[in-house]
Amino acid sequence: MEKEILEHGFSFNRRRFLSTMSLGLGSVALGSLLMPDLFKNTGDDDPLSAGIPHFAPKAKRVIYLFQNGAPSQQELFDYKPKLREMVGQEIPPSVRGTQRLTGMTANQESFPLVGSFVDFKQYGQAGAWISDLLPYTSKIVDDLCIVRSMYTEAINHDPALTFLQTGSQQGNRPSMGSWLSYGLGNENKNLPNFTVLLSRGVGNGQGVYSKLWSNGFLDSVHQGVQFSKGEDPVLYLRDPEGMNRHERRDMLDQLAELNDLSYKEFGDPEIAAKVKQYEMAYRMQTAVPEVMDLSKESDAIIKLYGPDCLVPGTFAANCLLARKLSENGVRFVQLYHQGWDQHGNLPFEITKQAMDVDQASAALVTDLKQRGLLDETLVIWGGEFGRTSYTQGKLTPENYGRDHHPRCFTIWMAGGGIKPGMVYGETDELGYNIAKNPVHVHDFQATVLHQLGLNHEKLTFKHLGRRYRLTDISGKVVRDIIS
Amino acid sequence: MNQKIRILAEQILVAMGIFIAFLLLFESKLMLPLWLQSAGRLHPLLLHFPIVLLVVALLMSFFENQFDAAGRLVVQQLSRTIYLTGVFLAGVTVVFGIFLSQEGGYAAEPLQGHKWTGSGLYFAGIGTYFLIYIRPISQTFARVASVFVVVGLIVTGHLGATLTHGEGYVLAPFQTKTLTTTVALEDAIVFEHVIQPILEQKCISCHNEDKQKGELLLVSQEALLKGGKSGKLFVAGNPEISLLLQRIHLPMNEKKHMPPTGKVQLTEEEKTLLALWIQAKANFKLKITDLPATDSLRLVASRLLSPATLPEERYAFEPADAQTLARLQTDYRTIAPLAVGSPAVAVNVYNQAQFSRKTLEELLEIQEQVVSLTLAKMPVTDADLDLIASFKNLRKLNLNFTEIAGTTLPKLSALPSLHTLTLTGTKVTFGQLAKNLPQLKSLKQVSVWDTDLTPQEQTKLQKLFPGISFALGFQEESAAPLQLNPPQVQNQTLVFNQKLPVKLMHPIRDVEIRYTTDGSEPDSLTSPVFKSLIITENTKLVARAFKKGWYGSSSVSFDFLKNSFQPDSLRLLYPLNRVHLAEGAHTFFDGKLGAIGANNPAWANFWAGARAQDMGVEARFDNPVTISSFGLHYMIEEDTGIFPPEWVEVWGGNDPEHVKLLMKLKPPMPAKGDSPTLKIAQGSCVPVSVKYLKIVARPLTAIPAWHRSKGNKALLLVDELFLN
Repeated sequence: MEKEILEHGFSFNRRRFLSTMSLGLGSVALGSLLMPDLFKNTGDDDPLSAGIPHFAPKAKRVIYLFQNGAPSQQELFDYKPKLREMVGQEIPPSVRGTQRLTGMTANQESFPLVGSFVDFKQYGQAGAWISDLLPYTSKIVDDLCIVRSMYTEAINHDPALTFLQTGSQQGNRPSMGSWLSYGLGNENKNLPNFTVLLSRGVGNGQGVYSKLWSNGFLDSVHQGVQFSKGEDPVLYLRDPEGMNRHERRDMLDQLAELNDLSYKEFGDPEIAAKVKQYEMAYRMQTAVPEVMDLSKESDAIIKLYGPDCLVPGTFAANCLLARKLSENGVRFVQLYHQGWDQHGNLPFEITKQAMDVDQASAALVTDLKQRGLLDETLVIWGGEFGRTSYTQGKLTPENYGRDHHPRCFTIWMAGGGIKPGMVYGETDELGYNIAKNPVHVHDFQATVLHQLGLNHEKLTFKHLGRRYRLTDISGKVVRDIIS
Repeated sequence: MNQKIRILAEQILVAMGIFIAFLLLFESKLMLPLWLQSAGRLHPLLLHFPIVLLVVALLMSFFENQFDAAGRLVVQQLSRTIYLTGVFLAGVTVVFGIFLSQEGGYAAEPLQGHKWTGSGLYFAGIGTYFLIYIRPISQTFARVASVFVVVGLIVTGHLGATLTHGEGYVLAPFQTKTLTTTVALEDAIVFEHVIQPILEQKCISCHNEDKQKGELLLVSQEALLKGGKSGKLFVAGNPEISLLLQRIHLPMNEKKHMPPTGKVQLTEEEKTLLALWIQAKANFKLKITDLPATDSLRLVASRLLSPATLPEERYAFEPADAQTLARLQTDYRTIAPLAVGSPAVAVNVYNQAQFSRKTLEELLEIQEQVVSLTLAKMPVTDADLDLIASFKNLRKLNLNFTEIAGTTLPKLSALPSLHTLTLTGTKVTFGQLAKNLPQLKSLKQVSVWDTDLTPQEQTKLQKLFPGISFALGFQEESAAPLQLNPPQVQNQTLVFNQKLPVKLMHPIRDVEIRYTTDGSEPDSLTSPVFKSLIITENTKLVARAFKKGWYGSSSVSFDFLKNSFQPDSLRLLYPLNRVHLAEGAHTFFDGKLGAIGANNPAWANFWAGARAQDMGVEARFDNPVTISSFGLHYMIEEDTGIFPPEWVEVWGGNDPEHVKLLMKLKPPMPAKGDSPTLKIAQGSCVPVSVKYLKIVARPLTAIPAWHRSKGNKALLLVDELFLN
């Protein structure tokens, strides 16, 4: 930002121009001989010229069903019969290794293993094991790529969530949706490119904060826009009482003239961004109510997603909205469903949580497929880390809990050129360490960007003197799961 | 070099020659100890020494004439030593090479070539050494022999490189990359295009004509059927008892596991394919499209052959002018290049109100470049298809929820590359599709969900066009019934003043809401159907939702509570708990009811709490009101120590100095294990006219002995008071 303003100043500076003429031009010419791309606009400093994929993409849009709080893989996707056999036994130190513990179990005297209270069965071509908690998901496994070998670096919710979303644990970096908005540009100019929908279940919840959909150092047009339940899904979008659309138009035109004047004077690109946002808001005034209207959805759709899909603020309703937004060209729809943090009372809470999300998640995949949109839409389902194979707190026959576990967790992806009907990666018999094909968070991010036609090493933005990427300085595309 | 050593070395040379000849003769009987395998693996390292040494020695003999006599002698001596060492090391290399070849896994043809040229080279080396240095014939002969050895080195080296790097490695950069031949799905034969390539990649290196391990050959259909030493390879139609599958599924440490340790293993997908193919009677002629659309073998095999593995599509047309593209962009029509440098563009159109035929006509300027066109929900009709047909490079056309009925679908036959057509939610008919789809030659995907097509017609379509995958989607009729969610109440608050029109609703259309007001469970037959209801007294409303094709909802109950008098001013008598302040004194008459569960915002904001001190509030009325009953709404959650008040006192009068006790309530205490509930402590008195009320509630001073916090003060949470 500061840089652009500074450069704006330079462009009016006669002395600089002349000095460039005498010595500068020669050296620039030489430089261009050495670096053929020097004069080509690579796009990484200019948000307006970015926005074209680096290569032909498989997917055009992403819907990320974030299961906030970290769902236990042992009860959902990662079948570990050995844990049931060894219930109550101490986890072998050779398995646990030097894994750092959270403050919640660090003082625990023993770490008895605990198996899933719920049974698993095999489904689909790949014979994927899915727990009985997910009856609807089990029906669509042939459309899913289940990755059981994700791992992360953080051990607590906020850093892990921030890491998955922004590629850094500390925050202040652009979110994945912002990067995609920056990299791909708008498909529909009447809706924000990156939208956020929140819901919560009855389980132990963890907060989500607007920093997770922040544009960081990118232009603020790439910020995620939260759609809330209730009468005004997008706050402050409605015209105030007494103002009609014509007056709004007039006002915006006048305002744009004034803004243009200050842009000419100061050259701050945020001014241009602001004008664009006012204009988009104006168009959103008609586009948003149309998208948010659920009254025209057919009975088949309601049965597909389940009756809750008409109750605003539920996960089911958000899945349905996500489909509508995505169908209307929103690049990145980010859902968060809170309540997956089962430190205790796991059997009860995870059952409720699974009921909240199972039908609607599966419905979303089916719905996109029947519209011929699954090919170009990447659906992602998963949390920020996994849960331990040993119990947290007291282990009783009916009840137990699981602590945070960064070493392995399960997510699934569907559509968007990801191989369907596949189970990728393996954990050890106790579900504690990865045995095969580990996928780091940065690998996952690189893969998502790749599916959208973006090279994660080239999608950069220069800020404070260095170029930043979503994948920081690592990450490689997981080619095995790309079809 | 010392004469003795040289003679010794020369003898070893001959001995090694005999040893090599022996190895070559009895190669098939060779059993190598493990450590010799490791020695064999040194072959690729060792081979560089003889190459360099031999070439250097030969070069030296070429240039020895450049020196004077003394110098020539030195050079000759030196070159002889180097040549001898070179040939010696060549021999060691050959021996190690033969060891290495025992490991198997190399392509047969170049291996044989390499073996024979390599050992031939060694013998030629001995011979030339003899004829150049020991019994020199002539310098010309020496030179010819040298050239011969160098050529032999090059040939042997090249064959060796082919073994490790594959055919054509050296020249590969010059050759234009030819793609692996891909076969169209409809022409693909399961064995030839799916099974055979697996065998070729993972099995044939050990089971070929040159190297029939286990007497098994996997090169032809006859050989496959014949099997090997251990019997037939498979029983058609019965993968469980087929030897092939047994061997590939044995644990890795099992000796008979195939492919053996150290070889590239079969992937899960490949194992599945082999099993499915045998299950399908191991038919060598079977075409993929002969199988039913939902057949596992078809699904897995077509995934393997799907065009997704093809490289990025190249377009033969020129990019459109950037200014034209910019000019055609509008807020409702997005035109985006597929990728940086790609001439192809994708067009998305939004906003029905802005759409007209002109939206498409304007695009004719870039008719060559549009490869993807999304017109979902636009009022596109059959008459517009002629325009769409002029985008001749179109690959993807999205017509979901348009007004297309399919009468002009033949127009799309002008689009030779169209592979994806979505017609979800349109009025297309089976007849139109059956008649017109054959003319769209490249079609791969069509979605026809939410059209008037019956499931039978959809199945029929899939049968008619095996090369096209139809997205049929969710069938409402075939899905099991679901349970409805309970009705909701839309009234802002459940607390009312005199009377309240109850607003019950259900988000799903045409749902019948039935209710009771006596606390009993409503049923779908006798309970009244909700239309409108006005209540005037405290009412417990229990409601359920019903609809045909759904299971009835669970019941939900709402407590409507009446409060006739709103005080004109309110004041707390004692401070509330620091963390349960809610709205202070106003909490009790703001109509906002708290809820159970600390996660709920209504928990944090609407409950006023007290523990150490009494909870007390004084209410004043500008005009006297006649009080005859009183209620206090509170929460019980014994587990967390939230208990009813020990007692509640209501004092009334015309001013604070002249009050009398109107009533004192002692609500019942919960028992151990009671689930959390909301309750009202209610009482009545002889009607009395008051302007001033003082209400005091005492938190339970000692929690009962059965509780883990026994003897402590309990927390009292109150959200609302009722005066009637």
